[in-house]
Amino acid sequence: MLVNRKALFFFSALPLIMITCTCALTHVVNTGQGVGGYLAEYRFYRTLYTLMAGSALAIAGCFLQSTLRNPLIDHYILGVGSGALFALYLTVILYEYRPLIVALSAAMGGLFALALTVIVAERISGSDVAYVLSGIGITSLFSGLSALLSYYALTRYPYASLMLVGSFILATRDKLVYVAAAFILTYATHFVLSRRLNALLLGDEYAAQLGVNPKLTRLVASITSGTSASVLVSLFGLIGFTGIVAPHISRLLLRTSDNRVVVPVAATIGASILYVADAFSRAVTTPVMGEVPAGAIVSVFGAPFFLLLIVKRFKRGKL
Amino acid sequence: MISTKALRVTYRPSRIEAISDVSVEIPQRTTTCIVGPNAAGKTTLLKAIARLVEYDGAIFIEGRDISELGKALRRILAYTSHVSVNELLGVRVIDVLLTSRYPISRGLADSEEDLEGIYEVSRSLGIEHLLTRRIGELSSGELQRVVLASALVRRPRILLLDEPDSHLDVALKPWLSLYLKKLSEGSTVVLSTHDPIFAFHTCDYFIVLSHGKLLYSGPYEDLINNATFLEKAYGIGFTRVELGDRVVLLPLYSALKAHVGE
Repeated sequence: MLVNRKALFFFSALPLIMITCTCALTHVVNTGQGVGGYLAEYRFYRTLYTLMAGSALAIAGCFLQSTLRNPLIDHYILGVGSGALFALYLTVILYEYRPLIVALSAAMGGLFALALTVIVAERISGSDVAYVLSGIGITSLFSGLSALLSYYALTRYPYASLMLVGSFILATRDKLVYVAAAFILTYATHFVLSRRLNALLLGDEYAAQLGVNPKLTRLVASITSGTSASVLVSLFGLIGFTGIVAPHISRLLLRTSDNRVVVPVAATIGASILYVADAFSRAVTTPVMGEVPAGAIVSVFGAPFFLLLIVKRFKRGKL
Repeated sequence: MISTKALRVTYRPSRIEAISDVSVEIPQRTTTCIVGPNAAGKTTLLKAIARLVEYDGAIFIEGRDISELGKALRRILAYTSHVSVNELLGVRVIDVLLTSRYPISRGLADSEEDLEGIYEVSRSLGIEHLLTRRIGELSSGELQRVVLASALVRRPRILLLDEPDSHLDVALKPWLSLYLKKLSEGSTVVLSTHDPIFAFHTCDYFIVLSHGKLLYSGPYEDLINNATFLEKAYGIGFTRVELGDRVVLLPLYSALKAHVGE
């Protein structure tokens, strides 16, 4: 599809419009219901955080899928989430929960796990399935270590167990700067990377003959997505599948692989998925069984989608 | 004109010398063919000219060292390589062609000029009906034409084509030959091929490589009058055959039979 200036402006503005309108609506509804003070502020930030986190995770998914030319991956599959969680628990045990410190350590942990996954995958064969297998191995390793540490972490940080599934219960004002940083980092970087990622989708050599440095592009995309996803893990815990599902829905809807439009539409879809999952948790599950973390709800719906992709590939004899 | 001086390409970490001490001059606005057996260094020579591999020696385009051309090189030169994408990423033909205009596009958005350029090239190659198709759905022949289109949408002055005739049927090969000859009126076309009939019908200038070494570089007329260069490169006999309006050198099947028998 031709992405002229009007189309580019429209699609790029979509996630911003979506976030702004939903937050404004939340504020209006709360005001209309006479909800004020701390509760209104909490609901506002919770809405804002689900939307920005969903957008950032979806963009990170687009970056990772394009840069590694692999439709089966996101930060969760590649072990970034579990690596970040492990670093978070370690920091909480050795030091304490301070947003800045845990965000930094989670970013380092997430990037370290990503590097490990890439190294192992490249040693296996470098194929897309090798990345999934390597990611599963690294995720399992850090998930196991995180589970072990969680017992100690719980004694120092009471919400440590929530981090295992991803929840927006802790939507406090002080987290705004970190969530916004993760969102802005991915959203702004897509303007720089999207055309380069389009070239990278066609192969490293193809990208190089177009004047795109494949290694530099891959490095920037990986660091951006790894850091953003890790920071979000340090705040809200592991949220899987948003990053894998949103880019696919975006490509199916737009019938193109052009990241200039796929990325912002995926960001809008990712925001919607997390917002709906969190709203579902609050409105439907809370009265029945208590609040189920949004990450668990996303996984319940995301896992079948992921399995569907694998089955589709298997049927075509490409696994 | 493209010229190479003592060109040497060594692949790491195996340290295999794919090209050693190759000095050639490729004339402007001609169709030049690089021929030679497998592992002769044909693709490596094309990649070196496109600055896609590390090399020793020097390569000049229109008198300028390509290492000093920077991004300008990507605007004047196009190299076609194989496109292989994951089906689930949904890459379509139009996506490939729009992406291929990257070196000459300005800004993030596409312009009407981009679209017009793509339609013009697609029409000339007969692939306009494929524009919305996914890459994975194309036949090998269709994909080959899409790859050629991806180079042409940039309107390069130099076109480097690695086996552009592979996967094409008997009707499409002569068509491509004529298409490239017409193209060479305005640009320099350098290609590699394994098909002698296609090579001798298409090209006016030849480079013969064997085991990374240059055996011959010169015009078509000189090569067909002296089959020893091809015979030395391939290690088999060649015979002169008149095919239509061109004389071609074809491998001697009788000699091959004896060779296989041994």
